[in-house]
Amino acid sequence: MAANFWASTQRLHWQFSRETLSDVRQQLEDEDRNLVQQYPLPDRRLLSIFFNQQLGKLGKKMNIRQQALATAQVYMRRFYSKVEIRRTNPYLVLATALYLACKMEECPQHIRVVVSEARQQWPEFIISDVSKLGECEFYLISEMNSQLIIHHPYRTLQEFQGTLNMAQDDVSLAWSIVNDHYLTDLPLLVPPHVIAVTAMFLALTLKPTQTGLQSAATSAAALSSASPTSKEPAGTSQGPPSTQQKKVQHLVSWLAEGEVDITACIECSQEIISLYDVWEQYNEKTCKEQIARFVKARGLDK
Amino acid sequence: MSGTNPPSSAATARALEATQSLKRSVQAAFDESQDARKAPPNNGYTSKVRVLDRYKVVGFISSGTYGRVYKAVGVNGQVGEFAIKKFKPDKEGETIQYTGISQSACREMALCSELSHPNMIHLVEIILEDKCIFMVFEYAEHDLLQIIQHHSQPTRYPIPASAIKSILFQLLNGLLYLHTNWVLHRDLKPANIMVTSKGEVRIGDLGLARLFYKPLHNLFSGDKVVVTIWYRAPELLLGSRHYTPAIDLWAVGCIFAELLSLRPIFKGEEAKMDSKKTVPFQKNQMQKIVEILGMPTKEKWPGLVHQPEFTQLQSVSSAVREASQGKTGLEAWYWNTLKSTGYPDSPPSANPGPQGLDLLAKLLEYDPSKRLTAEQALQHPYFTANGERVTANCFEGMTTQYPHRRVSADDNDIRMSSLPGTKRGGLPDDSLTGRPTKRMKD
Repeated sequence: MAANFWASTQRLHWQFSRETLSDVRQQLEDEDRNLVQQYPLPDRRLLSIFFNQQLGKLGKKMNIRQQALATAQVYMRRFYSKVEIRRTNPYLVLATALYLACKMEECPQHIRVVVSEARQQWPEFIISDVSKLGECEFYLISEMNSQLIIHHPYRTLQEFQGTLNMAQDDVSLAWSIVNDHYLTDLPLLVPPHVIAVTAMFLALTLKPTQTGLQSAATSAAALSSASPTSKEPAGTSQGPPSTQQKKVQHLVSWLAEGEVDITACIECSQEIISLYDVWEQYNEKTCKEQIARFVKARGLDK
Repeated sequence: MSGTNPPSSAATARALEATQSLKRSVQAAFDESQDARKAPPNNGYTSKVRVLDRYKVVGFISSGTYGRVYKAVGVNGQVGEFAIKKFKPDKEGETIQYTGISQSACREMALCSELSHPNMIHLVEIILEDKCIFMVFEYAEHDLLQIIQHHSQPTRYPIPASAIKSILFQLLNGLLYLHTNWVLHRDLKPANIMVTSKGEVRIGDLGLARLFYKPLHNLFSGDKVVVTIWYRAPELLLGSRHYTPAIDLWAVGCIFAELLSLRPIFKGEEAKMDSKKTVPFQKNQMQKIVEILGMPTKEKWPGLVHQPEFTQLQSVSSAVREASQGKTGLEAWYWNTLKSTGYPDSPPSANPGPQGLDLLAKLLEYDPSKRLTAEQALQHPYFTANGERVTANCFEGMTTQYPHRRVSADDNDIRMSSLPGTKRGGLPDDSLTGRPTKRMKD
């Protein structure tokens, strides 16, 4: 339940294995094979980047807190695990997810405000009729089985910050890595505390200001040294330990004592690092055009 | 042969006809959905599940600001009795439009889907169909308001002490579950506490409940007014911005007192919000509390002086109402109440006794930080006094048979009316019996 992730609907109904998630999506596409072939779309992560940027713009105009934006992103991902995106107007779904998330995160926005802001931002795709968004809200809640309470990694991150005595810089970086994980399938695959641990770990190992992003392999190797089977402490092969390496060692030994699923953390960090790789191919224009094609052709904006 | 035939007088025929037409009108509440089915909107949302495919509505139970509750029986494989809460669409009459679901309905849907505890009302499913929300709950035959009313009309006789003990224990147990899960109920009152025919207490109506884990804004800014006036804690009356689960424990204290006396203990009159929507100081309600508990002091409640409405407290008279046999305040109220309701002095188990008073006093503690928590209240000696054990069935050993929940089929104007207050089928309208209207919401 709300305080207890282990008894939550998120854990019981919205955590999938990679295989299940891919099967579910395959099945969705199979049911609409013609549609899928007719309207190709970019990599899911690229689309997610696009949606996230659009959501960010919309949220900024209404001064919406990050937690509500994060909830909206999870709603989108859950919804599109059950509904073929080409059957929807993603802009309407985006605005609706934000509207609903704001209510659930206790920072409600009036439906008219959301619709008018959304219309200003996407005049070609949103009509000024609030009932469209109201209807879409029914759709969203129904597909999510009214399971609307979302556990985010931010809470764990805040708790760990004290426990591990992390520097503010590292926490901020971990925080933005958590923000980025919503662009991947991770919210549907791993528990939020695993994300938090991974984000902290990556924040200490990937210092974007220093040498650019390290490879997934290096980070994963350091992480796996935290697993009980490994005898070798992290960073031994890299010469004398720097402050950063000490921090990593501290985290690693802390992890080794705990019961955090290290394998999940490794997978998780690989997922996030490959997101940063894919990001280089991101092209806003392509996303926009490919979405516009099916929305316009199918009259989904009406 | 006429003796073996069922009576077929004109009266029964009329009655039959009336029943039939009433049944039709109740059913009509759900039939709107069927009209809309004929013309599905383009690309629009249509429910995969139909309320009427699974449930047959048998009558109307109650209404509130949120909408209406109906009794239904399962059909097509769905077995049992159910209570279906139908949220009223924002604009009634004419054509119903999607206008966005109220935050209160969103909270209730989300929390009920997430929560599961033997002392919480069990949600069966939620159906979103044709612009209406239907929340399907297990059916509970009784509620505390109905039980209290049964003991006050036509003659007053006490609710057995053992039953009160069981009810209170179960209520606190459910509340402990809510609070450990960071949920504030914020509207505990007799009408919202259900009791099944097996004597199990179920907390219901999470329409005002919310999570209080690190809120983005203070709780006050979300909902200006919470908790029905008679059950509203002093810190709320004094305008506290950062209230705590202690507000629910105050309400439990009020409910405990009401189970003992069969009347609300602090029956104040609500000052209405003015046109500017500023929240007025509830002087009369505060007065009722002070009459029994005495004036709160900063010695006993250090935070008192920091309450936003502290200065308003001077306008409240400090006269204490009851004083007898050298006893004052709550103690006098308690013993007078037990006597006038008719609790026997012996055996000890038939009387809530001094431990009852002690528990009540610690629930009706002015200082929210000193008020018992649900966990502490469950540990109170009241529950173990006389070497007894609390029964899981609050009706255990009772001879009283409570009447079934009255369910009326008389509901012609379902689509149009939006009566305030908690109107209950069969029972007089609460607004007539002096029950306060449902909490106001901003």
